[in-house]
Amino acid sequence: MGKTKTAAATYTPQQPYTPVDSDFVLKHNEGEIAIDTNFASQSFWKDVTTRFFHKKSAVAGLFIVLFLILMAIIGPHVSGYDYSSQNLANKNLAPRIQGIENLGILDGSETMSTTTGTKKTNAYAEKKLYDTFYWFGSDRYGRDIWTRTWTGTRVSLIIAVAATFIDMVIGLSYGLVSGYFGGKTDIIMQRILEVMNGIPRLVIVTLLLLILKPGMLTIIFALMLTEWVGMSRIARAEMLKLKEQEFVLASKTLGAHSFHIIFAEILPNIIGPVITQVMFSIPTAIFTEAFLSFVGLGIPVPQCSLGSLISDGYNSFTTHPYQIVAPIVVMALLMLSFNLIADGLREALDPKMKEM
Amino acid sequence: MRKTKAIAAMAMAASMVVGLAGCGGGSSAYGTSTAAATEAGTAATTADAAASTSTEAAADTSAADGTVSTEDLKVMMETPVESLDPQQATDGTSFEVIADYTDGLMQMDADGQAVNAIAESYETSDDGLTWTFHLRQDAKWSNGTPVTAKDFVFGWQRAVDPDVASEYAYMLSDIGQVKNAQDIIDGKKDKSELGVTAVDDYTLKVELNAPVSYFLSLMYFPTFYPVNEDFFNTCADTFGTSPETTLSDGAFVLDSYEPAATEFHLTKNPDYYDADRVQLAGIDYQVIQDSQQALMSFQNGELDMTLVNGDQVDQVKDDPQFRSVGAGYLWYVSPNMAAVKELANDNIRKALTFAIDRSAITDDVLKDGCTPTYTAVPPQFAAGPDGSDFSADQEMFKDVCDTDPDKALEYWNKGLEELGEDSLELEMVVDADDAPQKVATVLQEQWQTTLPGLTITLKVEPKKQRVQDMQDGNFQLGLTRWGPDYADPMTYLGMWVTDNSNNYGLWSNSDYDDIIAECTTGDLATDAEGRWTKLYDAEKIVMDESVIFPLYTQCNAEMISSKVEGLETHPVALNRVYKNTVKYE
Amino acid sequence: MPERTKKNSVGKASKIVRKYIIKRVLTSIFTLLVILLVLFILMQLMPGSPFNDEKLNDSQRATLYAKYGLDQPVIVQFGRYVKNMLTGDFGVSYNISKNTPISQLLKTRLPISIKIGGAAVAMGALVGLILGLLAALKHDTWVDTICTIISVIGVSVPSYVFALLLSYQFGFRLKIFPMLFDAKRMLASSFLPSVSLSMFTMASIARFTRSEMLEVLDSDYMLLAESKGISGSSLIFRHALRNALIPIITVLAPLIVDLMTGSLVVEKIFAIPGVGSLLVNAIQSNDYNVVISLAFIYSAMYIGIMLVVDILYGVIDPRIRLAKEG
Repeated sequence: MGKTKTAAATYTPQQPYTPVDSDFVLKHNEGEIAIDTNFASQSFWKDVTTRFFHKKSAVAGLFIVLFLILMAIIGPHVSGYDYSSQNLANKNLAPRIQGIENLGILDGSETMSTTTGTKKTNAYAEKKLYDTFYWFGSDRYGRDIWTRTWTGTRVSLIIAVAATFIDMVIGLSYGLVSGYFGGKTDIIMQRILEVMNGIPRLVIVTLLLLILKPGMLTIIFALMLTEWVGMSRIARAEMLKLKEQEFVLASKTLGAHSFHIIFAEILPNIIGPVITQVMFSIPTAIFTEAFLSFVGLGIPVPQCSLGSLISDGYNSFTTHPYQIVAPIVVMALLMLSFNLIADGLREALDPKMKEM
Repeated sequence: MRKTKAIAAMAMAASMVVGLAGCGGGSSAYGTSTAAATEAGTAATTADAAASTSTEAAADTSAADGTVSTEDLKVMMETPVESLDPQQATDGTSFEVIADYTDGLMQMDADGQAVNAIAESYETSDDGLTWTFHLRQDAKWSNGTPVTAKDFVFGWQRAVDPDVASEYAYMLSDIGQVKNAQDIIDGKKDKSELGVTAVDDYTLKVELNAPVSYFLSLMYFPTFYPVNEDFFNTCADTFGTSPETTLSDGAFVLDSYEPAATEFHLTKNPDYYDADRVQLAGIDYQVIQDSQQALMSFQNGELDMTLVNGDQVDQVKDDPQFRSVGAGYLWYVSPNMAAVKELANDNIRKALTFAIDRSAITDDVLKDGCTPTYTAVPPQFAAGPDGSDFSADQEMFKDVCDTDPDKALEYWNKGLEELGEDSLELEMVVDADDAPQKVATVLQEQWQTTLPGLTITLKVEPKKQRVQDMQDGNFQLGLTRWGPDYADPMTYLGMWVTDNSNNYGLWSNSDYDDIIAECTTGDLATDAEGRWTKLYDAEKIVMDESVIFPLYTQCNAEMISSKVEGLETHPVALNRVYKNTVKYE
Repeated sequence: MPERTKKNSVGKASKIVRKYIIKRVLTSIFTLLVILLVLFILMQLMPGSPFNDEKLNDSQRATLYAKYGLDQPVIVQFGRYVKNMLTGDFGVSYNISKNTPISQLLKTRLPISIKIGGAAVAMGALVGLILGLLAALKHDTWVDTICTIISVIGVSVPSYVFALLLSYQFGFRLKIFPMLFDAKRMLASSFLPSVSLSMFTMASIARFTRSEMLEVLDSDYMLLAESKGISGSSLIFRHALRNALIPIITVLAPLIVDLMTGSLVVEKIFAIPGVGSLLVNAIQSNDYNVVISLAFIYSAMYIGIMLVVDILYGVIDPRIRLAKEG
């Protein structure tokens, strides 16, 4: 490279120019001549993916979600404790982690402010549990909060994803059908929807949980029953937008069946907003489940979800605050990352938001 | 039974009919007051112990400042009042408030004994079937009209009136044995035929079907409180829904209240016949459902008295203001013997009851001072003819009800062999409340780890539905509770006679039925000593056949300000009585 | 001449609007009736009855059923209920406060819930709007990042956790605000609950405002407005914000109703005598009349608010305004 510089410096206009090797080296100016993503002929999805991965927060969200999913899968198996077995002798132990405890934090000691003053205790030392480690602490039955948190994450995720997926299927079909046929069908279907939507969610969900046998399936069902309305709205709106377009008319003239047009022609075209809505629905479902647990209508004991862990730890907040920290942090992270992904997707999918 | 919804109180004088030997009886960890009460042991000395506790407390405060405060007593309640109609109310919160402003014929003293209130004196006939109460003439309702015998007649007739459909009508029929009460409830007779008459304005005559030894102690129960007919008619349907539609003849007057209010207030009644005794300016009730919030409010001085949840006990157990007092409830598991063939097997039931580690439940999980219980009649509420606690000896039935995993396993294997199975799946119905869920979680674990092949699932549901399931026989195991309505073992033993609606397991034993009948209306009804021995025989049958698995007797952990003295608490009928309470500056 | 045509078209438009409103109101009433019927049927499906108490025997229960007319067919009960409701009689409570008319129960509770919920919505909407605006105007700067972080925390943490933290810090530790609701100190004691309730609204509104504003700022008519020389605050507030407000209002409306149903945990924590806790207690104790009345009131509010929003939409939407100004 040094040679090239010398060559350039010695160049004089009078002499005819003799190309040197360096003239045929790439200029490395990709920053300046970026491909115009707006008009480049890329496939839509490649375009979306590129834009999505350009958004740092969305990528971060994606990584957090993947990490949490991974932890939900392996987390319950690594600490050596079972999520439901109790050990009353080891109840209410503060978090203690091998190695880190030597730094003076997470060494199993806790400070409790009692009505007669604060006191610092280390229950591990008092009970001579030298080889016992509860990474996130133990709860009032001596269950490992680490294992329970990740088991709970798993349960919450399953509930939220399942409910949202069923929502999507029902809401989509309902909205698409209602929008496509229009007229009387639409009016009747929209009235039904209005009734469904008019009854407070809390009432439907709690009544359902009372009527049906409590459990994961019931909760999924209850969430599903109340959440599909939003999805169907979006599907209907998109349908109204698309159904007058040429490609639909073309299909119609070619004698395509309504079913074919709705699900094979139009559906693929609205997948963007649908995915965004799904991403927004998942955190809502997690939230609703947490709320149900708090009212005492959540997952039956000894199973746990993030919501039930939070409501369990809630009463110990002033006594053993660490019991509520882990589930809240995980839940907040889940909510956060799903929201970030949803935001990223929305921006990536919505042409108006493209960076000009 | 929903009577006293886990509200109980503070205890300076932690004593009931038999002095409450402190709820923390078995455990030593719960503060000084319980320790003091535990030492007391017997009824006779508990009163002293209680007294000495209060003197200590008094010493603490008077050292600071001995003047009586003009401020209200600020009391925390867990649930709102359900009804201020004395004949309609069924829960402890409502009873307590009604009793704050209403006096019946009798009232509870610090030891829970019945002492005269509106009744000045009374006499019984030799056969014990007729009671005559002479009413004091200086008692007035807060609208100025005197309290007369007619008010009692009206109130009692309402209690059995089928149109009112009072849940506690059985207090007059089954328990009080008032003449014709049952027929009126069943609609066979008119309510005017009830065996209670106003001889004149100040004489009330009561006729009974059978002598009832504890009749006087029923007289402080709100179902037996007077209602002024003229006033009632002016309110019609709104009776007891606002200060204007309530009348006071008691120590306080209700002066701010709305239905299901979370905050309401009573002021001292200046026209109370015993007004000199009442030292509180008023009572300010605050309903707080979140116990953590309640404790923080207490620490900030916004409350003088609050309940403490087991989760917070660690924070307050060294505080001298911390107490644990008896709430009376017996918590137990009822197996459905009629519908579940596995539970009809005696060995399986024994295995289940032996596998329960009751002290782990009370000491490690509930932590509010509840005592493990191994008898069908809980301790510390019913005193015998000699004044001793009916269930003081918790080892009476050690051979059939104890904590013993080995024995449990032995019974379990035997039971499975008889059934010809090698695993069992059972479901337990549980209330969706804090304590029952905690207990059920531990029970599930204890059963499953001790008894191999057993799977327990929990069905958590709101209480009304749990009760319905149990009433319909639609359950396998049920975690339930029962609070005493009056200070006699019969309040428990009466439950397990054939066809009683609370005999959820549909258990039936004719020997048992005979003993209970004999003790209620038969020959033994007047023979206190003989009846007492027979009741033990009855209890033994229940325990031998493991009709229920008793778990623990409920206690409430509470904080009461050191400025407050003389707050009387009882596990039966009225949980807290404020007539002798003083709040210092 | 142009004057007249303008007038004419306005008259025509208002006629259309009026017809539209009447139609919307009628369908809303019909929807409400259907909702009421659905609620009645749901009540029938509920296990247990209001009178499941250990101490009531079968004959007493039968008496109570007859007394309250619960032994009749659902459709008869429904007819009677609707008839009574038209006269303002919502029936009596069976459990929560025995024999108390529901209207009396709600008289004090509903205003409290509305006040606290309203304060929360107002606070949340205002703060959310400001945060969202700031974030959009300072797009891709640190201001944007901070606003986004705040709004994301708002949607990520449940309101009862906020309630707990706030009451612990500001009520218990610092003693700035009362920890419990007190009707005598309405303003001070409803501050913490309102704030904890407003977090979610705040966050949602901030996020919506941000994305809507970004979209609007990018739009062609903003370009046009800018090129016409409109600038600065006028551009943002008169043109951009106004257009961004439409979707924000649609989002806000259901949030208002949600807030009142969703407030029950916060009500429990701060001991607020509102309707949220009443509803849950009523559901759990099978207090049919209370459940139906409350659920119905919520539905009515929801449908009412949606109706208002639909009409407001017309007022704010520039296309309609443009049509009017002709």
